[in-house]
Amino acid sequence: MRKVVAPDYTVFEHVKRHVEAVKTAIREAIIPESVTCSYPKERRKMPASFRGYLIFDPDRCISCFGCAFICPANAIRMKEAEDGRYYPTIDYGKCIFCHFCLDSCPEGALKPTKIHDVAYRDLDRMLTLTEEMIEPPEIIREDKRYVEYVIDGRDLHLRRVDGEDELLVDLPPPSKVERIASCIDPESCTGCRICEEVCEHGVIRSSVEEDGVRMVIDSERCTGCGLCVKECSMRVLRLVRR
Amino acid sequence: MGGLLEWKVRAPDKPMKDRLYFDGLKANVIDTGLCSRCLTCACICPVDGIRVVDDKVDFPDREERCRDCGACIRVCPRFDYRPKYGMGDYLEFTAARSKRFSGQDGGMVTEIMISAIEMGMIDRGLFVGRDERWRPQVFHLHDSSQLEVGTLSGTKYTFATVLKELKKAVLLTRNGVGVVGTPCIVSGVRKLQMEFPLFRDRVRLVIGLFCTENFHYDELMSFLEKKGIKPEMLIKTDITKGRFIATMVDGEVKFKVKELEEILPSGCSVCTDFTAVESDVSVGSVGSEPGFSTVVVRGKSAEEVIAYIREKGYAEFGEGDPGQLDFLIDYKVGRFYVKTKDDKD
Repeated sequence: MRKVVAPDYTVFEHVKRHVEAVKTAIREAIIPESVTCSYPKERRKMPASFRGYLIFDPDRCISCFGCAFICPANAIRMKEAEDGRYYPTIDYGKCIFCHFCLDSCPEGALKPTKIHDVAYRDLDRMLTLTEEMIEPPEIIREDKRYVEYVIDGRDLHLRRVDGEDELLVDLPPPSKVERIASCIDPESCTGCRICEEVCEHGVIRSSVEEDGVRMVIDSERCTGCGLCVKECSMRVLRLVRR
Repeated sequence: MGGLLEWKVRAPDKPMKDRLYFDGLKANVIDTGLCSRCLTCACICPVDGIRVVDDKVDFPDREERCRDCGACIRVCPRFDYRPKYGMGDYLEFTAARSKRFSGQDGGMVTEIMISAIEMGMIDRGLFVGRDERWRPQVFHLHDSSQLEVGTLSGTKYTFATVLKELKKAVLLTRNGVGVVGTPCIVSGVRKLQMEFPLFRDRVRLVIGLFCTENFHYDELMSFLEKKGIKPEMLIKTDITKGRFIATMVDGEVKFKVKELEEILPSGCSVCTDFTAVESDVSVGSVGSEPGFSTVVVRGKSAEEVIAYIREKGYAEFGEGDPGQLDFLIDYKVGRFYVKTKDDKD
């Protein structure tokens, strides 16, 4: 064990440090340097990977239910739309902003934003419907500058920059293990061709031959979304590493 | 685990050209009265569209939903029907009474299934229970504590939708599945196993029941009500020595089985299989003393289970007499000839 003792300063060093302390005190009295930002007049600049409010692109969604299945807070419910397909709704009263839904979306239909300040009048309105997720929520911005934290040596400094921080980000979809659908038990396949019908990209094709049905998966174009795996009644399809 | 990106599925010959496979099945099996209502077709149907409508198997919205894959025709035990009859091959013919469970006779169906679960051979067994109005309900049995409801054992004499549950059980299981059923259900399972490896690997134990006939629920209940038997008051039903015995809370009603012939389903009248010759083990009451179940061990898996029961001393074993079964085996074959002769006339 090491005993902590007061540093053994010389008289000259003592005087130097006292002068520095008095200088800092005078400077802080005239222009105080705070380490907190005065929201909402200024906003902190968030990294592009910030896990905030989600926006949704229905054109990319393939109704695979992946987001609803993975949600650890059970905040996502799939709701039937007029076109007969199911799209997610998010209950922000339950959401823990883990963005597992976004990471698991095979098609990149859910997109992150840096928006973290959305207010609701009551709990019921926190259930955000699909239509409300397409556009980012309307927020009144009072901020004229944004704030960045800079680590200078051992000190944390705050830097104010004039201008607005862009809250919408355009991140490439997260990288994931490349997987493709594949048949693990061809003899148990009934040949119902539901997989062909549900495939959004036309990757699974069947052709009727004289004595049976030939099924083909175009591995080059398969995105590994898993819709066919989910729908196969005999569970003979499985996602395998490409 | 690897997989295939290209594979081929064998399609059976179409019985009716330019029509759905199910139309062919309907014309050849259901409308001709051959259908045993085993629901093997409903088990395999990829869109789960086949069900029982007015005591007949049907696919009401098939024009819209049917995928025309032909799986129903591939698995139907009555399509291209080859009747089974006789005692069949067996390794051992014995009689036994369970020391742990009570049942119709010796409680051996429950005993065999629970023992197979305890051995780790299977992790779920499909059982038929009933509600208070004697409507059959299918149960997934995982351990013996579920038996406390008390309605799993005992004969119900009505068709149950066991096979409709089988696919669910097979997809959920980790070790294997056990099934109990009448000879038609056993034949359906065997045909499923022949056609689809999924069932071949995962259905490990098939217990067949001795069966002369089974009835549609509504018909049997209205028949019993005419005899003054209320389903709520019923405790046990049994057929012994040509008599139907209904034990009720306040007494017994007996009548001759022959009277039930008027509600005999046509699918049963063409069946000649009394002992479930295709099962792993057949269990019934005929062929042993009262209070004992007759156990006919046919398959390797059932032999292991019986050896386990013997080793643990879970059951008391007695003498079985195969000769006692001859009468009912001959009765079912004879009924089949009468029926087919009537059809020709």
